[in-house]
Amino acid sequence: MNDGATDILDEQLEKARCGERSALTLLVQRHQRSVYSLALRMLGTRDLAEDLTQEVFMQMSGNLRTIESNRHLGFWLRQVTTNRAIDQLRRRARVQMRPLEEEAHLFSAEENSDPLLQRHLQALLAELSPPARAVVLLRYQEDLDPVEIARTLEMPVNTVKSHLKRSLESMREKTSGARPARCEDNST
Amino acid sequence: MSKDIESQMRAALRPVAPREEFSQKLLTGIALERPELKPRRLGAGRRQPLAWWLTASLAASLVLAVGVHQRLQQQRAQQSGLEARREVMEALRMTSQKLNLAYEAVKSQSTSLTDEHSGA
Amino acid sequence: MRKFTVPLFFVLLAPALACAAPSPKLIFPSFSGLAQKATESVTITLDPALLGLAAKFLDGNDPQDAATKEVLKGLQGIYVRSYSFDKDSAYQQADIEAVRSQLAAPGWNRLVETRSRKTHADVDIYIMLDNNQAIGLALIASEPRQFTIVNIVGAIDLDKLHKLEGQFGVPKLDIDSKSAAKPRN
Repeated sequence: MNDGATDILDEQLEKARCGERSALTLLVQRHQRSVYSLALRMLGTRDLAEDLTQEVFMQMSGNLRTIESNRHLGFWLRQVTTNRAIDQLRRRARVQMRPLEEEAHLFSAEENSDPLLQRHLQALLAELSPPARAVVLLRYQEDLDPVEIARTLEMPVNTVKSHLKRSLESMREKTSGARPARCEDNST
Repeated sequence: MSKDIESQMRAALRPVAPREEFSQKLLTGIALERPELKPRRLGAGRRQPLAWWLTASLAASLVLAVGVHQRLQQQRAQQSGLEARREVMEALRMTSQKLNLAYEAVKSQSTSLTDEHSGA
Repeated sequence: MRKFTVPLFFVLLAPALACAAPSPKLIFPSFSGLAQKATESVTITLDPALLGLAAKFLDGNDPQDAATKEVLKGLQGIYVRSYSFDKDSAYQQADIEAVRSQLAAPGWNRLVETRSRKTHADVDIYIMLDNNQAIGLALIASEPRQFTIVNIVGAIDLDKLHKLEGQFGVPKLDIDSKSAAKPRN
């Protein structure tokens, strides 16, 4: 994000702290995709994700005075969302990431999206423990580096790296068995 | 190969938007939770006598305390309601998962019975 | 006189006891021993008050919420106990016997009994009827590493349960109201 955009959002945060509803709305709109997607991919179903998203933003609304900047807000939202999702998953029975029709929206529907890869990814997320799942999502959805992930989840960096390594290996195993050989891969 | 998988994972895991109805509900809920405050105007108004200011502060604090208490109660009620809703969804989802197990078993039984009959 | 009073009391009470209506609400044991061994446990207890509160937070404009709201109408309670373990056969059938024995009482009818060699899952579904209306449902699902007991109390509308198809992945079960009225065991 460029400095100009950051300044505007910091300004909106200040206004939201003072009670301006439109500023709060803007912040929610800015961050809701990220929060909702984390919740959805952690918990596996839309209704649980929506509940968690609502709780997180309600909590945010009541805690704005403790948030220093928009960057801090992003960190806070990711931390609260993943921690609450991990707590829920630990308390509840294992959520089966069943491929229900509506749950096709777990992944982004891009033009060149690969449904087979998405299925492998869904299987991977389902088999990971809640903390490992959070690590994968913070890395590949939120584009955080291992140090930032470690800070967010209050986990040692080496543990983060270990989760990422094992997840990538698992993904590689899943995809290498299923994919037909492509000529362009052999040429590199 | 690893980079390829990682970039594909990134592409697949780009954030997705929630339903429009949910977004509206979320913003409405937050707006109700946090009433609009008028922006403070610094330096406006003349100074009031100290005694009046103290009385006004005390009254304002009392109103604020009642308001905060009511807000906390509302928040608690809201959280309880959301928690209850989540538990209902969880219970019904678990029920449906187990019903599905029964369904799969019945389906595979009737499939094997059909195979037996057609074999005979 | 006193010698005859006590037995007479029980003779008079017996018919009342015999006629006491069976309750669709199961009594769950504490399962504390199993909870300690389990890797994950779920305890959901939703009485009428909590169901009413949850219903207020269901959005009538959302198809899933609306279908759920319809199912909740007339329900008096939803109770779930589920325990997952990290190895096979960590629990015994005797552990669930305290619940199964209640389902052998008059009033409960076994609707479905499935034993799957493929998934190694046994699922039993029982229903309690009153004037041909379902007033209680009990489901026991026993898998190698998990068992789940669900008890739903109240006026269960099987047609509305059907309508949850596709919302939670509920499949078509072919348990329409008419066939459910006939006791199967």
